[in-house]
Amino acid sequence: MFDSWRNKKSSSTVSSDMVSKQRRYDSLVRALHTDIYRYAYWLCGDKHVAEDITQETFLRAWRSLDSLKDEKAAKSWLITILRRENARRFERKQFNYSDVEQEFIEDTFSSSTEDHAEQHLLQRQISKLELEYREPLLLQVIGGFSGEEIAKILDLNRNTVMTRLFRARNQLKDALEQPTIRGQSNG
Amino acid sequence: MDELKFRRQAYGEPNSQDPEFLQAAMESAESEAFLNVLKGLDNKIEKALSIDVPDDLVAKLLLRQQLQHHHAQRRKTGFAFAMVASVAFLAGITFTLMRMGPVDLGQHALAHVYHEDKALHLDQNVQYQDVNFQLASLGNIGDMQFTEQPGKVFYSTYCDFQGVKSLHLVMQGEHGKVTLFIVPLEDRMVLEEAFADNKYKGMGFETGNTYMLLVGEESQDLNYVKNEIKQTFI
Repeated sequence: MFDSWRNKKSSSTVSSDMVSKQRRYDSLVRALHTDIYRYAYWLCGDKHVAEDITQETFLRAWRSLDSLKDEKAAKSWLITILRRENARRFERKQFNYSDVEQEFIEDTFSSSTEDHAEQHLLQRQISKLELEYREPLLLQVIGGFSGEEIAKILDLNRNTVMTRLFRARNQLKDALEQPTIRGQSNG
Repeated sequence: MDELKFRRQAYGEPNSQDPEFLQAAMESAESEAFLNVLKGLDNKIEKALSIDVPDDLVAKLLLRQQLQHHHAQRRKTGFAFAMVASVAFLAGITFTLMRMGPVDLGQHALAHVYHEDKALHLDQNVQYQDVNFQLASLGNIGDMQFTEQPGKVFYSTYCDFQGVKSLHLVMQGEHGKVTLFIVPLEDRMVLEEAFADNKYKGMGFETGNTYMLLVGEESQDLNYVKNEIKQTFI
């Protein structure tokens, strides 16, 4: 009774607000879920955890969708939420993940052909990068952010970001150029 | 842009569109080749990062949100109900407490007489057995009842003394009619032995487990009825 009275009073505005919020959310999910999922995956190194984090991220996004004023900022907004979710995961499940870290990243990449072998190696190398080098790289390549924007998201200054990007690529390049013990034993 | 800065930028952001950087890349074939190597690396990195996304992820994300939204709505409804229930509960408690306050029997008796004026004009000629029958349903008065007819009883009905079920009788005094209230004992009742206003006089006394309140125009009538009661109400 109480509810129906309240609804009657403002049903039209409420429902149209709801519909437009729902539409915004739908397009947000469709446009950005790929990048968010991939970012989550490269952050945590596990498909299932990545899916969980993605779910949590979007749920939080739904709850505070009204605070997102500028659609252009949606991606960095989501990534900020995602990074917080990821950090929360470590607070919650310290024991489950802290000692696993990235060393035993799930081996989900097909490496059957020569073409894929290099990609596989690169993926292993990326997952082995220190997080502080890996994250700026993810933001740049997956997120498409500039040095300035990365600095803002990670709360670092731009020079630090550029240095880390330099080191990240440097390490990956080295790893590809001297395919270490693994490559030799195969060859 | 010097060589070192160019190389650092090539590593840091090989796809940079900074004009100075692009200019530096054009300056020598070596620089251009160097940049192309890094761009090649970046393509590979991009490919390597582009892992497959589960097909049903979009559907799952939308479903989770719909469910969440649904639950939130239910919670809101629940909250409204809880509020309404609390208000109703509080109102109930307040009402009950108000009825628990001390009761001044004398004033209440007078008010009651004025309020039920018609009682003084009726003649139902009630038998004492009927009065006893009504007495039996009052709480807490023990076995007290009339043993014989206490004079003429014009009127008898239940009434309410601030939430306490009581009996309202109109009896014949020596001259005029006297209203008698029989009220079961209660701690919060305050009994005055005598009370009056400019029309009626009243007296109160305790008999066994009950308060007796008499209201009439003459003290003589009151005393008359009081005696009747003392003899017949045991």
